[in-house]
Amino acid sequence: MPEYKPQYYPGNTLPSKNRKKYLDPTYKLQKLRTISDDDLIRIMGHRVPGEAYKSTHPPLEETGEPACPIREIVTPTPGAKAGDRIRYIQFTDSVYFAPVTPYVRAWMYHTRYRGVDVGVLSGRVPLEARERDLEKVAKELVETEIFDSARCGIRGATVHGHALRLDENGLMFDAQRRYMFNKKTGEVDYVKDQIGVPLDKPISVGKPIPETELRKRTSEFRVDGNAFRDDKELVSFIERIHRLRTIAGFDPEKVKGV
Amino acid sequence: MKKYKDVVDLHDDHGRLVASGIPIAALSPLLNPAIQKIVSFVKQCVAVNLQGVQTSLATGEVGGKWSMLRGRSTKVDLVGNAEAVAKDLKETLQVKPKDDTEVKVLKDGKYLLVTVPAARLNAGVEYTTSATAVAAGLCHVIIDKFNVDMWDSDLVHAAVWGRYPQTMDMLGGNVVSLLSVPQQNEGMGYALRNVLAAHIAMITRKNSMNAAALSSILEQTAHWEMGDAMGNFERFHLLGLAYQGLNADNVVYDIVKENAKTGNLGDCVRSTVKRAIDDGVIKPLEKTKSGYTIYTTNDLNKWNAYAAAGLMAGTMITCGAARAMQHTPSVFIYFNDLLERETGLPGVDFGRVAGTGVEMAFFSHSIYGGGNPAVFNGNHIVTRHSKGFCIPCVAAAVALDAGTTIYTPEKLSGVVGEVLSEVPELREPLKYVNEAAVKIKGEV
Repeated sequence: MPEYKPQYYPGNTLPSKNRKKYLDPTYKLQKLRTISDDDLIRIMGHRVPGEAYKSTHPPLEETGEPACPIREIVTPTPGAKAGDRIRYIQFTDSVYFAPVTPYVRAWMYHTRYRGVDVGVLSGRVPLEARERDLEKVAKELVETEIFDSARCGIRGATVHGHALRLDENGLMFDAQRRYMFNKKTGEVDYVKDQIGVPLDKPISVGKPIPETELRKRTSEFRVDGNAFRDDKELVSFIERIHRLRTIAGFDPEKVKGV
Repeated sequence: MKKYKDVVDLHDDHGRLVASGIPIAALSPLLNPAIQKIVSFVKQCVAVNLQGVQTSLATGEVGGKWSMLRGRSTKVDLVGNAEAVAKDLKETLQVKPKDDTEVKVLKDGKYLLVTVPAARLNAGVEYTTSATAVAAGLCHVIIDKFNVDMWDSDLVHAAVWGRYPQTMDMLGGNVVSLLSVPQQNEGMGYALRNVLAAHIAMITRKNSMNAAALSSILEQTAHWEMGDAMGNFERFHLLGLAYQGLNADNVVYDIVKENAKTGNLGDCVRSTVKRAIDDGVIKPLEKTKSGYTIYTTNDLNKWNAYAAAGLMAGTMITCGAARAMQHTPSVFIYFNDLLERETGLPGVDFGRVAGTGVEMAFFSHSIYGGGNPAVFNGNHIVTRHSKGFCIPCVAAAVALDAGTTIYTPEKLSGVVGEVLSEVPELREPLKYVNEAAVKIKGEV
């Protein structure tokens, strides 16, 4: 019997390899910056730091659960156990060599985190989870190599800008001007939370990653970087999936040994 | 029906072995007596909200929201006389003495569970016979039994039938069938798919394995009626029902168990692939330059069934860990994306589940309207595209929700779920379908 080793993603080019790396939960994402728990909570804007978690239902221990064999064995997340509200963090990733593309975010969230709800839209990727679970996940998302302070935006609303040119400081356009480049420190400061409500004091999310470094970390295909069509293996893989889906739709019996 | 060589091991909802080597044909809606009984119950069983009728008569509030006939009121103690009403209704509906008619009083007379005799349905061509017979019968019983005046009989009609016939269905009525009126079905054979996931979760009393089973039975049986489960696609549906809905070979339960404590959706994908390799369903085809192994199969229908079982397990892990139903569309898309990227083989339903997930995600996450997963069904405009593989997962997810939605399954399902959960075959379909399959295994 062949031994199975998880492989996550096909392809030969750097973006493909980076995708594979980010999707692999055994790969530890490199930490690039530190954001305090309280600052992250302020940026997300769901509660005031130190405030108790609001709940959507009583703790499971109090309500008890219906007799269900799956509930008996599937451990609820700490947030679910406590009855937390479901809250979100949402990212916009620039098309200019941001570390992750929207789809890679979704795949990565599902291979790395438990009990999360993620959706991909044209210019934004919301991640929803029970509040205390979300805060834990959000920390890794903002502190590690998959976030860049210039090319990724934490945006709850008015997300437009992922496909617009970068400004003179290399920052992705944000109609709400939630963050700005601090020339003194060389860092990016959030002055509004993800919805656009002004913060009491600016919160630094660190220096932008240099372009040369971003090009090494990106999982985006671009004609002025690594073009998708140059990754022959990946193109042929995608074609294979579509071909097999189509043939199977006509007659599943016709897909044999291919 | 073609002869199929496939045999499966049957398991209960706790993953315990029930029987080995059962031919999958024994699980076919065309042959399995329990599935046929479930379908019959769905057609024959009607819930009556006696309390609702009584309140409507007393207040003149009939025919749905914001609809009240001021000054009209008829005081009738239906709840207090529920046993007598039930007796008279039974006699009205009976075709022959001691036939299969049944009227059961529930919740101290608040509700009735009525089983309309099959003879009435056999004498017509529409499943609506049950609802119409009960509604009309109940009107007669109320008028006769409580000596309702001729000038108040219209109020009785409105309290029972709701706004029908001004509306297509019995809007605001107090006689409810699990099935919607045929005009609300999206196409031919969709009747069994037009059942809210909320109803399924409530009927099975939020046992997610039974919710998955009941939903899968209704969804897949509908595909025989729709003309999908024919020829080369019959086995596709049979295996799908067996593995995704009925926990054949314990694939669903095993994958859930494996990832129950700390696993995520990606782990369920990998467990599915590993299980498929171990069971010889897929095997390596070639290695690419990057070292990626492309897998192949000689039995795509079986692979689809394994993938569908993995999808169910992935839903149970993701929605189960969060105790929330809203993750279902995300699971539909990304389980399949990840599975395809892990193997090089098509995902569940050859891309249709992933596509359905995209639409359902929009329509279940507020910005485009819609509603929470509990309002979805296989007849819904955004979830009908998959050939029976999405809604069973939705039903299981709704069953696992701890109360995260504004419109809860209890509120959405109302009387129907609560009343029909009294029917053992509907409440615990896995048990009854397994038992029936064992009984007929030698005959198929």
